Amino acid sequence: MGRNIIKRLFISIPLLLVISFLTFVLINLSPLDPAEAVLQTQGVPNITDELIAQTKEELGMDQHFLIRYIRWLLASLQLDFGDSYVTGQPVWSLLGPALLNTLKLTIVSVFVIVALSIFLGVICALREGKFIDKSVRGVSFFLTSMPSYGLAALLIWYFSVERDWLPTSGMDSYKSYVLPVIIITISYAGIYFRIVRSSMLSNLYEDYVLYGRACGLPEKKITLHILRNSLQVAVSVFCMSIPVILGSTVVVENVFAWPGLGSLSVKSILSRDFPMIQAYVLVLAAAFVLFNTVSDLINVAMNPKARGEH
Amino acid sequence: MLKRTVINLTVWIVSIVLLAACSSGNTGKTESTEKGKELVYATAKDINDMNPHLYAGSMPAQGIVYESLVENTEDGIKPLLAESWEVSNDGMVYTFHLRKNVKFHDGEPFNAEAVKKNIEAVQSNASKHSWIKLSTKLVSCNVLDPYTIQLVLSEAYYPTLLELSMTRPYVFISPNNFINGETKNGVNGFDGTGPYKLSEHKVDQYAVFEANEAYWGGSPKVKKLTAKVLATGETTFLALKKGEVNFVFTDDRGTDSLDVEAIKKLVDSGEYQIVRSKAMNTKMIVANSSKSDRPVYETAVREAIWHSIDRETISKQIFNGTESAAHTLFSANVNYANVDLKKRSYDLETANRILNEAGWILEKGQAVRTKNGSKLAMKLYYDTNSSSQKTQAEFIQDSLKKVGMQLELIGEESSSIANRRSTGDYDLLFNQTWGLAYDPQSTIASFTAKPSYYYTTSGIAKSDELYKKIDQVMVSMDEKNRTSLYADILKIVHDEAVFIPITNGSVTIVAPKELKGISFKQTQFELPFDRMYFE
Repeated sequence: MGRNIIKRLFISIPLLLVISFLTFVLINLSPLDPAEAVLQTQGVPNITDELIAQTKEELGMDQHFLIRYIRWLLASLQLDFGDSYVTGQPVWSLLGPALLNTLKLTIVSVFVIVALSIFLGVICALREGKFIDKSVRGVSFFLTSMPSYGLAALLIWYFSVERDWLPTSGMDSYKSYVLPVIIITISYAGIYFRIVRSSMLSNLYEDYVLYGRACGLPEKKITLHILRNSLQVAVSVFCMSIPVILGSTVVVENVFAWPGLGSLSVKSILSRDFPMIQAYVLVLAAAFVLFNTVSDLINVAMNPKARGEH
Repeated sequence: MLKRTVINLTVWIVSIVLLAACSSGNTGKTESTEKGKELVYATAKDINDMNPHLYAGSMPAQGIVYESLVENTEDGIKPLLAESWEVSNDGMVYTFHLRKNVKFHDGEPFNAEAVKKNIEAVQSNASKHSWIKLSTKLVSCNVLDPYTIQLVLSEAYYPTLLELSMTRPYVFISPNNFINGETKNGVNGFDGTGPYKLSEHKVDQYAVFEANEAYWGGSPKVKKLTAKVLATGETTFLALKKGEVNFVFTDDRGTDSLDVEAIKKLVDSGEYQIVRSKAMNTKMIVANSSKSDRPVYETAVREAIWHSIDRETISKQIFNGTESAAHTLFSANVNYANVDLKKRSYDLETANRILNEAGWILEKGQAVRTKNGSKLAMKLYYDTNSSSQKTQAEFIQDSLKKVGMQLELIGEESSSIANRRSTGDYDLLFNQTWGLAYDPQSTIASFTAKPSYYYTTSGIAKSDELYKKIDQVMVSMDEKNRTSLYADILKIVHDEAVFIPITNGSVTIVAPKELKGISFKQTQFELPFDRMYFE
């Protein structure tokens, strides 16, 4: 187990290096002169050639691409991603709070998604083909296919404006979590509960279930056994849902004015705040690699076959 | 093993959820607006870095925190932090007598020393301010006595007072906020002398400004202003309906955060009023005259486009009368812009004739005109974030089709459009003038700058003459000469039809019905919140 973790971590490092290099290359391929981008993002009303040259020198952009990359990489290892072109503040001082805000939203959402997916997955599997199974699948299909933008506006209108139960936007109190979490949950629980359901169904007809029943085990205990085995597939999917949601909250955050990674990334991309974009991609890539590793390790832990124990 | 993992995972998730819920409780801020005392305005962007000597900050926010020596009003330049001033006969020395008993928000006195330090801090970063020509002409700033300051220029420069009145960079921040005697690398506080002081700022969430009770002009009646970041128009509309936000005004790029219908609904509800300024800018289509292989290179094609646009219908149907039809680059209320120019009205017949005369022929059975095998096809870029530009673009596309011109519409982000403008990679694109106070001098100065309108103006026959006159007008001290030079400049670009005006935009405010004292400044970028009060 310990060797597994070390091995996985060693594989992650070159992967992150490749990602960081590619990000750096892609951003440098942008047709816009980075110095001009800096000045544009700072709102300088008139950008002259002298100013571009001066900015290049100030930011060390007149140096070779590889030197700049290595410098950036070494600094990034110490969480120093440089300064934002727009505000001049250190990238981490802006990215850190935004990451935390999105993480709060993601964790709460994942918690609800997991609970709801397991609950609905089990119910639907146990009532396969029955009314409840069909209606849950029908409703979830309808809801997941609705654009979250429109659905969010509809929910804000009803729950915030008409009923005055919840705030329309912002992250002021626990109430602010309700609508964004509902939107994220609708987008993902509809997919994940199917995984639990089909996994449950494939276990329902396994020999051990038949054997359990033949031995007279209570149905509740048998269901728990099935659930435990079914979750092996679902756990890795659930685990990966954290970085997936982390990287896909753009719409929700914009609609609900949630000051998280999604809003920040859009703002940075639109204003060509390159240091911010680079750090954002790297942090997200690290999250994917980390959670992929964690999901693999959980799988290994749950499945004796995978770690060579019989 | 599984049991333990599941338990650990659950404990971890629950702890984080609880932590998240607990920590978020303290961030609570936007309780319902306190009627009679507070305004909460929606802003699409955070107020950003409020350093007044740089350009990243929100101008409406900077405008209430910092002040300049003089103020630009409808009746000309008026005193602000300077009570009076004299200009030497040669136009090179400006002497300002400062207002006494003015204090920065941190208690530091505002005096000639503070002015000198601020002006020198701006000048030490002069290259960044080259758009404001004063920065290139300021030689020294001398303290004559504790309340008298003298600015010495290298040559006479007529817009000096106008540029000193702008929201940035010649405004004053407490020298205590300087870092190592400078402001170009950041400041450690935002203490101005203005009617409001910044009391709280949560990046990308909100900023709170409190009335400056020690303000020299009397404490503002609206005691608290909150700028709430709301990126989308739909959320802003719903937040207004609910009362979480109670004040909205159109942003500096003119990409209104609310569409006309939404505004109408709010006003119809009886809780809000709508107030509009007079014309502040001109919304226009900018044509690239620099590429000889493109149809828009030809004056005739640009003229035909001009004649094919029905501005009255755009004004009435698309803007619901909120913007008026524009027929010249600057509206008549802009200084030096009241010039007699040839009117090009909406006239498809004339457009057809001009194109025929220019050799663009519409073959039988064809929808698009051709000339020497080339199609009369062009690309028009519009800002996807503007609620009206796409509709206007479609309307114009349809009109141009009627005279055999093909228009391809491409929606992009504003930064991408700015990039096209600065690299010349466009046929036609939507743009707007800098606006009152900056017009005509700043917009005209930008005709020569590559990142602005160089590619718009460089292809026209009289470009050299145009650039020469622009250089001359900026240093001319003779009012008559200046008027004549501006008239020539405006005539050249008008005759060449490179700036095709559509409508005159104004600042629109949606505010609570009981809010009084709403007025405007001579700029579309800021509002005099300190003059507002609840009845």
